[in-house]
Amino acid sequence: MSSESGFTRHGKNSFVATFGKSERDVLINLSEQLIEILAERIDGQATDPLEAMVGFTGQDSPPDDEVLLRLLPNAYADPVDSSEFRRYTESVLREKKRIHALAIRSHLLNSEKHEVALDQESAQAWLGAMNDIRLALGVRLGVDSASHEQLELLAPDDPMRGVYAVFTWLGWLQGTLVDALMNDVEG
Amino acid sequence: MDLRMSIQGDTKEKIDDLSSPLFFVDRPWITIVWDDPVNLMSYVTYVFMSVFEYTKERAEELMLKVHNEGKAVVSSGRREEMERDVQRLHEFGLWATLQRDDQ
Repeated sequence: MSSESGFTRHGKNSFVATFGKSERDVLINLSEQLIEILAERIDGQATDPLEAMVGFTGQDSPPDDEVLLRLLPNAYADPVDSSEFRRYTESVLREKKRIHALAIRSHLLNSEKHEVALDQESAQAWLGAMNDIRLALGVRLGVDSASHEQLELLAPDDPMRGVYAVFTWLGWLQGTLVDALMNDVEG
Repeated sequence: MDLRMSIQGDTKEKIDDLSSPLFFVDRPWITIVWDDPVNLMSYVTYVFMSVFEYTKERAEELMLKVHNEGKAVVSSGRREEMERDVQRLHEFGLWATLQRDDQ
């Protein structure tokens, strides 16, 4: 991994980062995985043609998969309210998240010398997708408030060690973009 | 008690009773954000600033409340408004739910 400064602000509406080749490849790969995970929910097609026409997938049960459940969480504690809400909103949420992940992928695929320059809107898409990837990795790693120390101490040959390294790197990268944007919000 | 039955079956006086402001004042709905070990503190602050247009101070205060107490009420209002807030927060990957304000 070679980018040293992460994202930095260039002028009013440009947030720039340069990636190493391995960083770029990892980010593209993870974005594609995120897109695949989100697509798993489209299998349950709507049975009502009218609902299908207006874009409702009719999905009203929470995802069985723990990662998907974290990405598409319940909005209510009550299961009936939660199902109703999910039925009319989940496809929209899923599409937003897919667009965010696609933004990372296309910026990196179209970048010259692995440099990306994002405007504020693209930066928000990147933030959302980086966060979603970290949420997914966090579920797989079993990250909870007590386990960061344990994860730091993973054995060198533990396959989760590499996953945790990507997880922390992505957190750092996300943090640099948040900081760059925050200066903007503060005006 | 079945509200509709009592309205249909009772006198005008009773209906006036029911329509008094006290009876119809709807408890507001609230949006709660729950602590999540993955989300960065600065990111959560940023999300509160951009979704709710809160000042940095207010956003940080709420973020710290989520972090230290496990959850915080981040907005309140009509149910439809809270559903929009929750949807926006989910887009950003925050763990948010809505409920009636039970206090």
